[in-house]
Amino acid sequence: MLLNILQDGFFAAIAAIGFASISNPPQQAYAFCAFIAAAGHSVRFLLTTNTVFQVHIILASIIAAFVIGLLAVYLAPRAKCPAETCLYPALLPMIPGMYAYKTIGALLLCLFHKEENLFNHYLYLLTYNGLTCTFIVLGMVIGATIPIFLFKNTSFQATR
Amino acid sequence: MISKIHNTGEGVNELTAKEVCIFLSDYAARLLGCGATCIRIEKNVRRMSKAFSMDVEMTIMPSHIHLSVWDKAHTESFTNIKRIHKGGISFNINTLLSKLSWEVADGKVNFQDALRLFKKITDTPPSNQRLVLFLASLANAAFCRLFGGDPIAMLIVFIATLVGYRVKQIMLEDGADVRFVFLCAAFFSSVIAASGHLFGLGETPEIALGASVLYLIPGIPYINSVSDMLDGHYICSFSRFMDAAILTACLSIGMCGGLLLMNLGLF
Repeated sequence: MLLNILQDGFFAAIAAIGFASISNPPQQAYAFCAFIAAAGHSVRFLLTTNTVFQVHIILASIIAAFVIGLLAVYLAPRAKCPAETCLYPALLPMIPGMYAYKTIGALLLCLFHKEENLFNHYLYLLTYNGLTCTFIVLGMVIGATIPIFLFKNTSFQATR
Repeated sequence: MISKIHNTGEGVNELTAKEVCIFLSDYAARLLGCGATCIRIEKNVRRMSKAFSMDVEMTIMPSHIHLSVWDKAHTESFTNIKRIHKGGISFNINTLLSKLSWEVADGKVNFQDALRLFKKITDTPPSNQRLVLFLASLANAAFCRLFGGDPIAMLIVFIATLVGYRVKQIMLEDGADVRFVFLCAAFFSSVIAASGHLFGLGETPEIALGASVLYLIPGIPYINSVSDMLDGHYICSFSRFMDAAILTACLSIGMCGGLLLMNLGLF
């Protein structure tokens, strides 16, 4: 189990570095993003896969994002970056991309099927994926921004 | 490096509301264009206007900044509407501009130096494109692993992302419409990722196919949208959400096209 968690953290860190690089972060932020993302993603992995916790993915994302937010607020002054420079790239590996495009895919399939059963099935896929995606992103950002507002002075003075 | 210059009373008084307004609206438009949240833009602009001893009021619209500056005695004001400077999301420029705002607020930089530094920051080149291409491909392969893909699926995703992302870079350099770019990149990536299914490579070809287009998901605009919503900037929030949703729709359509061509169904 521990190996799985470490593995999850490792790959989340690579994913965070790569996806962060698309949005041009300052060089000193890469290492912090990778560390924060690894910590956050392994928390979510632990919460969703562990037989003891078995937390729903939405709640697990909120908790993981809260951990990411706390770490980002704590580490941002050390990286001399605004908190969101460390925070947002670290959240990227948790963005529910598959739910997002499956929503649109289901919408297209809905339009092309007249038969009631099939239509209902794709409508179900549309709403299921759409709602899950929306609430994961919503929860994630709420979870991650709570620490920013709790420690307003630290988070907005990081580049001072 | 920046030398420490303290704003003298005289230096501040020489500034007109017009100069400050043009600078601050330029600054805010640049910050909005590099993907900063509304709360960040407001805080940075207010911080600097305080240092210049001026009062500022601003509206942040989806693609414009509407900014009004009053001098301290409230005898003169200037208003400017500045179009967003779309330069792509850049946390580097965001960080440097935030630093500049603190340097101005702490009196380390005077108005003329702030103008010069602002120009220098906005000329900062983006990250090395080849390196980004490689890192994004590696990231998507790692992402495939997080979804339970095997090493062969990771390799397929790596190649699919490499090709798709390169297509995106070439088309964006040529000035193609960003929505069309997303459609094409997703099409190419999904066709390449379908090879796992077609040739029976690896144990998890469906994960390779599903993860192949995830590098295109506009994660930062989604996050910014929720962040603006929490801060009460509903118009900006909605516009950022719609931008991201339209790009997601384009990449889904591109992917569906690719799957249709390969005669595969994912959903």
